[in-house]
Amino acid sequence: MRKIKRILAVMLGLLCLTEPILTQASQATSYTYTHDDKMNSVRTQDAYLPQQTITNLGLNAAEDMFIDKNNMMYIADTGSLRIVKYDISRGALLEEFSHPEFQAPKGIYVTADGTIYVADSKAKAVFVFDQDWKLLRKLERPQVPAFGDTPFDPAKVAADGRGNVYIVGEGVYSGVIQMSEEGEFQGFFAVNKTDLTTFQKLQTVFFTREQLSRLLNRNPVTFANVTLDDRGIVYTVTLGKRRDPIKKHKTNGSNMFADTVYGFEDINDIWVDENLLIYTASKRGYVDVYTAEGELLFEFGSYVSNLDVAGLYNALSTLAVDQNGYIWTIDGIKGYLQSYAPTAYAQKVYEALGFYNSGHYEEALRTWDEVLAMNQMSVAAHDGIGKAYLSKYDFESAMEHFQVAGNHGLYSEAFWEIRNVWLQKYLVYFLAAAVLLYLAIVITERVDKERRLRRLKAAWKERIMNTKGLGDVLYGFTTARHPLNGYYEIRVGRKGSLPGAGILYLLTFAAFMLFMLGKGFIYQYYDIQELDIGSIVIGFFAFTSLFVICNYLAASINDGEGTLKGVALAVAYGAVPLMVSLFAITALSYCVTANEAFFLDVLLWGGGAWTVVLIFLGLQTIHNYSGKEMVKSLLITALFIFVVIVVILVVTIMCEQVMKFLTTIGKELVRNVSS
Amino acid sequence: MYRLKGEKRLAAGLLTLCMLAGLWFPGERVHAEYIHTNRDTLPPGPAMEIKEESAEEYEKLYETDKAVYYYREDRDIIALLDKESGYLWKTGLDAPVAKKLRAKAMSASTEEEFEELENTPVEDNMNEIFTDMANSLITVEYRPPESLDSPKKISSASSGSESTLRKLEENRFCLDIDFKDIDLQMKVYITFGEKKIQYYIPHEEITGQGMQSMTTLYLTPFLGANGGQLLRFNRDSGDYDIVERKDAPPGYAFVPDGSGALIRFQDNNSIFRQYTGDVYGSDASQWEYYNTTLTDAMPLKDPVMPVFGVALGNDQAAFVAYADEGAEYMSIICTPEENTTYYTWTCPQFTYNLRYHQVFNKAGDGYFQMMEEPNVFDIAMTYEFLSGDGSGSTEAADYVGMALTYRRHLIEEGILTEMTGSGEETSGDIPIRLDFLMSDAESGVVGLDNVVMTTTEDVRSILTDVMDNGIQNINSGLQGWQKKGVTFSRPGTRKYSSAIGSRSDFENLMTDFSRMGVDISYQQDYVTINKTMMSYFDNAVKHVNSWYSYVDKTNLLPPAAPVTQFGYARPEKSVKWLKEQYEHSKGTADSMTIDGIGSILTGDYADSGHITVSDAMALYQEQLETMEEVKRNIKNPGMYLWKYTDRYLQAPVGHSQYIFETDAVPFLQLVLNGTMEVYAPYANFSFYTQTDILKMIDYNLSPSFILTSEPSWKLADTVSADLYSTEYSLYKNLIQEVYSQVNAALGQVKGYRWVDRLVVQDGVIVNVYEKDGTVKKVIINYTDDPVTVDGAQTPPKSALVADAVRTP
Repeated sequence: MRKIKRILAVMLGLLCLTEPILTQASQATSYTYTHDDKMNSVRTQDAYLPQQTITNLGLNAAEDMFIDKNNMMYIADTGSLRIVKYDISRGALLEEFSHPEFQAPKGIYVTADGTIYVADSKAKAVFVFDQDWKLLRKLERPQVPAFGDTPFDPAKVAADGRGNVYIVGEGVYSGVIQMSEEGEFQGFFAVNKTDLTTFQKLQTVFFTREQLSRLLNRNPVTFANVTLDDRGIVYTVTLGKRRDPIKKHKTNGSNMFADTVYGFEDINDIWVDENLLIYTASKRGYVDVYTAEGELLFEFGSYVSNLDVAGLYNALSTLAVDQNGYIWTIDGIKGYLQSYAPTAYAQKVYEALGFYNSGHYEEALRTWDEVLAMNQMSVAAHDGIGKAYLSKYDFESAMEHFQVAGNHGLYSEAFWEIRNVWLQKYLVYFLAAAVLLYLAIVITERVDKERRLRRLKAAWKERIMNTKGLGDVLYGFTTARHPLNGYYEIRVGRKGSLPGAGILYLLTFAAFMLFMLGKGFIYQYYDIQELDIGSIVIGFFAFTSLFVICNYLAASINDGEGTLKGVALAVAYGAVPLMVSLFAITALSYCVTANEAFFLDVLLWGGGAWTVVLIFLGLQTIHNYSGKEMVKSLLITALFIFVVIVVILVVTIMCEQVMKFLTTIGKELVRNVSS
Repeated sequence: MYRLKGEKRLAAGLLTLCMLAGLWFPGERVHAEYIHTNRDTLPPGPAMEIKEESAEEYEKLYETDKAVYYYREDRDIIALLDKESGYLWKTGLDAPVAKKLRAKAMSASTEEEFEELENTPVEDNMNEIFTDMANSLITVEYRPPESLDSPKKISSASSGSESTLRKLEENRFCLDIDFKDIDLQMKVYITFGEKKIQYYIPHEEITGQGMQSMTTLYLTPFLGANGGQLLRFNRDSGDYDIVERKDAPPGYAFVPDGSGALIRFQDNNSIFRQYTGDVYGSDASQWEYYNTTLTDAMPLKDPVMPVFGVALGNDQAAFVAYADEGAEYMSIICTPEENTTYYTWTCPQFTYNLRYHQVFNKAGDGYFQMMEEPNVFDIAMTYEFLSGDGSGSTEAADYVGMALTYRRHLIEEGILTEMTGSGEETSGDIPIRLDFLMSDAESGVVGLDNVVMTTTEDVRSILTDVMDNGIQNINSGLQGWQKKGVTFSRPGTRKYSSAIGSRSDFENLMTDFSRMGVDISYQQDYVTINKTMMSYFDNAVKHVNSWYSYVDKTNLLPPAAPVTQFGYARPEKSVKWLKEQYEHSKGTADSMTIDGIGSILTGDYADSGHITVSDAMALYQEQLETMEEVKRNIKNPGMYLWKYTDRYLQAPVGHSQYIFETDAVPFLQLVLNGTMEVYAPYANFSFYTQTDILKMIDYNLSPSFILTSEPSWKLADTVSADLYSTEYSLYKNLIQEVYSQVNAALGQVKGYRWVDRLVVQDGVIVNVYEKDGTVKKVIINYTDDPVTVDGAQTPPKSALVADAVRTP
């Protein structure tokens, strides 16, 4: 959501760069963002600094680039129908190559053995050259029935050097075209599923095949680019998707990322370096760096239309990473190359990830600590430290860091281990205590033949229940167990009181707030800062009051016998099971792991359902209704609530309009009088 | 390091050792060759061949020992022949209007006519309007009421204008300009000096209806313009279609972007938009819209001084131009080659009126209109012409010479004062700035919760620890010292919080350390306010459209930030609060640390009357003038406050990184050197690598840090969430490391005059300092290889002071 807001702000604020804001110490030209513990976009230390801007290559709508292991850069300069070879280490243009058959060379890929693949959508072919630009072969439209009438307009290409060529074709919905080196069609790899909206799903159910075929936009989204890592794993990016625009594919084409990856809708290039870090470029000018698991590390860059500042883009068309870890990008509209150097901070993060991935947990821990020294808010560092501790079986330290990193899943895993140990250690005592307790009860019953203890207990209970206030509150438990009798007593005024109900309302609210904010970390997803406490308080009490009043009004025109007090009491006493379940869930959330969420769900639903039933029965008793009458009364109550809300909205909007009108007139008056 | 393999493991191990020692090692990887970026300064360019140019179309106006001044009536061009360099400067391009020649070509029939046409090339990509502008002394941009959206230009040499040059005194002239087409008249007073030209355009002598529609004024836009492409007449086709690149001398334009930027003249392949540096930042009360949203692109750096220049060749010919009046309405523009024309041209632009969005309801609906009252100001611009390498009558004809010339001018004007004598200011260790964030606030269940990061006791123990480690010359600013912290405490109040320190705690801290020579001061931002801090009524700046101006920083702040919109305090209020804090501070604190005032300059359309930016400047100056009992530490102040600045905090390093900006230079630091203490940006954030330490030495900056006692993740939900790392325990070693390196170099040249800055090879800088005939050279080696300069070998990525050398 924040990302969308940011993009909107970028679009709105294009002209605002020159406003007087305190001087930035930073040498970057855009802020670097990452995810915080709740997956919000937040700023972080600069990860990359703009390095070189090379403007003299005369690039014209270049759409793809590739950097080989010798730091040679190959640029598919689409508009100029050429391939540019640039030596990064020497900073020199080496070669410009054009083939007479080139019509729109949009994709380029170079395999480890130096074979160059050029995808040309207009020439409808993938050209394969050796290092001396000798055309080895041309991959053209497969003539096999399996390829059907799929168009063959190759825009991007990747080859693993082991016989597989992956081609992204324009307008191909069936997936990435997989061919052999010789041009033999091997099938479609990794199809994108169509994400249907609820409305579209309904259409699928009710429409005829003919009607469905007339609908637009039912095709799956097409891939935008494809690349391979050193191990031959295929990565793709997809245009027009915010969820999972980046995929890392298993050999069967399915996605390897466990969690949803959120990204831009206009990602048009992807690169994977030797450490399996994933880099993507979005047309709007953002470069994103992800871990091998698809977690966002850094995002930087921005879109500008009215400025030419290094690191800000008119249209970021492609990216690649050289052997020094520098990111190279091309602005397709402006036609220049822009490189970025990783800062000491980014290098430390990568170093730590590398240590962890290679199983050097001690080194990883130490390096993550250095990252933390540079950025004490780094979620990645806390997460990394947590993982390293987890791998070292130091679960308590792991939990501490997972909590800061907001990693609920792994926190739960670490907690399970600790609980396991604890249980193993103390379970026997618990069992012993339970057995002892049981024995104590049995023995007491045997010994206490005259049931003196039981009578004593009953006497105490009666004394408490008759205590004003406390008894009224505790009566809630009676109504919960014996709703019909319980509510009857309330109706006739023998039991229950307004102060008691008031306390129950407050307790329910307290239980709700505790449930919202006080759960154990595994289940706690909000912070107090994120909640609008004012609205929650007002919302809770306003809605309850509204329900009580509307129900009373609905009953009073419907032969209901309940008074306003009665209705208020019925609702308050009915809320007891929910309140208890909320308290219980909050308490239990400290002892159960994420895998045991089922128990809490059952508690919540059970408590909720019980409360609904109680309120229903309670009101029915209070109003002396039959079941049918009760349902009718509830429907009328709902209608009343709806009407009241609409009226309040209308009045508020009207007041605002009147205010606005008056202010405008006032301002206009002041302006005219003063001028 | 984890990319390195095999034999590089050893190197990686060594690097790791260095890091463990507390030093975060360079961001750059090992390169055989130093690859420069536009954040470096490149070696000087080639020399130019100075050709003798005739001035036969010109009338001689005045002559001195160093220069001859000419004037060309029909094109409104002043020419200055620099007798020392032999270079002829022209305030205009001196080009014919292509349209007129093309008309001639249509009717040409005789051989003489054809020959004349062939000998008179026209400028490519220059229509009549642009040619007039390129020639003229003054060009005015205006927006006629009927077409507000499309600004138009008219120049003093346009056919729709008339101009006459009158002689007032021997070296003083007046150009009377009548822009007849728009009914606008003005007088430009021109004074010739030994080798300088001064222009003065008084506001009261600008008359006519056109005053209302005039938006901006350009002064000599094409002085020093470089590049150009000509079209020659082709007798065969009967058209101007023979393209010829003009023989342009090598050189660069200097613009005061950040610490200073050079834009080397080159033939660009891409079309770049122009650089516009709004001197002292744009006025929030005159933005196009009354509010603005910051994006993820960093804000550009605003010029803090009204100066620019152009240098040609290698130490051959240059000019530096500066404003003495009208700077607050001035922008410096540089339009790179390929943007409309084939020239790179640099000039000042003054804003009289502008288009703004008048909003009439809360939803933000509105319409565009011009300000009813144009800005009122006089323009005084001086152009000083430099030649040679500094051994002649002027400073060197490069950016160093420009800086030294401007410095001398400011000293003459009394704006800067050289620190002299033999006290602490001119000898001994360099100072270090250690600021403390005491507290900020985050949202709580009810209202705000204070997040206390440092207490007075913490400050005491941290500073004691730093001093125990051998650093003595320390000064400190305490941010967020009041209740509610740095974001929400009102600038004029003194509400102490016992959680941070009581009034006596603060006073004892300051006086105790003052005795040990450590200056601790209260720091306050007197300009940035928000609605949680105080009501905007009567406190906040109003835009010309009568709404409160504000900046929305949602994109830069954490999701839970308690406030995201920030307004500006009315200048009168800022001054009132400053005065109150001064009364409070003097006697206990040795200095005051002033934020906001100095780096933000804004007018105010208050109900009680309009305060212009000039008024605001005067208000600030008046107040600061009276505050003589304390030192004044000001954050990134504009030139108008330099007279009252003792410590310049957060001095910009580098520029905004426009793609066509080829070099970054320490122009600002060269100007300020020896007149006040100048501090680098906080080393905590992206300014901590070895390269950055070298940059502090190169730019002659004292290091600065921001510290807390508590870990900075506690700030994650506050407005200060961008302080990613501040905990003192993490910085203890880095402070030592940075300070000892910078002090080792700069301590040796403290009290010296910085007289030259040479780039001897890519990545190797030699700063030349001089004092009483003693010359010291600070050699800064940014490269990964050792370099030898004047027999002294400087190891990779380090700096060295070459021992005192007696000048002959």
